[in-house]
Amino acid sequence: MKLELGYIPIHNIQFGDPSRVEDGVLYVNAEDIKTLIMKDERVASAEVELARPGESVRITPVKDVVEPRVKVDGPGGLFPGTVSRVKTVGSGKTHVLKGAAVVTTGRIVGFQEGIIDMSGPGAQYTPFSKTNNIVLILRPRDELEPHEHEVAVRMAGLKTAAYLGELARNLTPETIETFETLPLKEGMEQYKDLPRVGYVQMLQSQGLLHDTYVYGVDAKQILPTILYPTEVMDGAIISGNCVSACDKNPTYVHQNNPIVHDLFARHGKDFNFCAMIITNENVYLADKARSSDWTAKLCEFLSLDGVIVSEEGFGNPDTDLMMNARKITDKGIKIVLLTDEYAGQDGSSQSLADAHVSADAVVSGGNANQVITLPRMGKVIGSEAYVGTIAGGWDKNKQPDGTIMVELQAITGATSEVGFGYLSAR
Amino acid sequence: MVKEIERAGIPVVHICTVTPISLTVGANRIVPAVAIPHPLGNPKLSRGEEKTLRRKIVQTALKALSTEVSDQTIFEVD
Repeated sequence: MKLELGYIPIHNIQFGDPSRVEDGVLYVNAEDIKTLIMKDERVASAEVELARPGESVRITPVKDVVEPRVKVDGPGGLFPGTVSRVKTVGSGKTHVLKGAAVVTTGRIVGFQEGIIDMSGPGAQYTPFSKTNNIVLILRPRDELEPHEHEVAVRMAGLKTAAYLGELARNLTPETIETFETLPLKEGMEQYKDLPRVGYVQMLQSQGLLHDTYVYGVDAKQILPTILYPTEVMDGAIISGNCVSACDKNPTYVHQNNPIVHDLFARHGKDFNFCAMIITNENVYLADKARSSDWTAKLCEFLSLDGVIVSEEGFGNPDTDLMMNARKITDKGIKIVLLTDEYAGQDGSSQSLADAHVSADAVVSGGNANQVITLPRMGKVIGSEAYVGTIAGGWDKNKQPDGTIMVELQAITGATSEVGFGYLSAR
Repeated sequence: MVKEIERAGIPVVHICTVTPISLTVGANRIVPAVAIPHPLGNPKLSRGEEKTLRRKIVQTALKALSTEVSDQTIFEVD
């Protein structure tokens, strides 16, 4: 399976009519977007705001971030099973409005939603301070249950990203990247002297608004399965998560998964990046046992020599991570784990809820309990009413001078467990 | 908490869903619970069935409490 990603750089965003891309500027017709979103009868009102890198702007509570893309060649469309019809994606050509992002906010759905500061110290912790953000402020109808509210917000973000991505259909990309994964037998023949490497991505699936969708299927209900890694670049996996903002994977991160990109960068040179395996993090022990069994079985079946495993979220999924580590290692396959840490505000507590001796090569995305102080911003998109109740905040964490103290947990993408962040020990 | 109470000489049964974590942290008597969001209940069952389930879990825990163990032990609920 071969996919060409064509990048159209976006340096700025402005309101304008009609929506279009000109000279690196994305012009957005807010009325068109509102009309699109308001077709969903669950939404009572929608507003569109713009937030650019460097501005004195805070967006909160952030639910999801989505990158505008469009499929210009090959089967299927963006976000198959949700926005587009179900069709296997990941081949052909896709255009990307690189530098633009759709961010969804509005009344809180769960208690684990995030903060994006476009400038100041908070901006150094979130990757979405560097994107030109089209922010949707959504108010659901009052009688909606939280899970329906979540669906309405999720769909609004995805549809808006698809609408904006469509503007790139007939543009000429400035740069093109090509990614190819061969079918099993051909890959083995072509790269017979290279180690076989796979990527196991654990998807958040704890339920109660902690969910991820694969081709429209709730990941709680999947058995571990194999993807061509390019499928995720076309939106095969989307986030429906109100999980701690720092270490959930927003849809944007699934579309741009750095583990996939970095493995492709060395594919065919240092190793053969054979496949991506997705598994889940369910709340029943039998599910954890079954999914980790299947994950290890698929690694063995693919004759992998080495595997990278990334976790999503924390707490009981730490056990899924350790079960995967133990069972994959038992197959004689080397592993490296990616996670983050909840080591207390002073960093001295146990980092993970579970541990196993097989987890002897672990990359950390950082300590989510680390406290930072965010200065007052000139403008807030959404509402600061929830900064004390979202995960990572606490009662009266907003000071009289307007500054806010939070743990990194509250900052969208701060301790990404797929490495889509800025924290580093280097 | 399990370990601190045992340190005071009182045996403890840890009822929990994710028994691997219980093993990792060093509980000696472990009884598996139903699921993380509802450890001692099951919203899919009728009230009557759920009460039976809850009674079984508690009875298993009481049996575990009165059983001598020489190593970390998981007591499955029948």
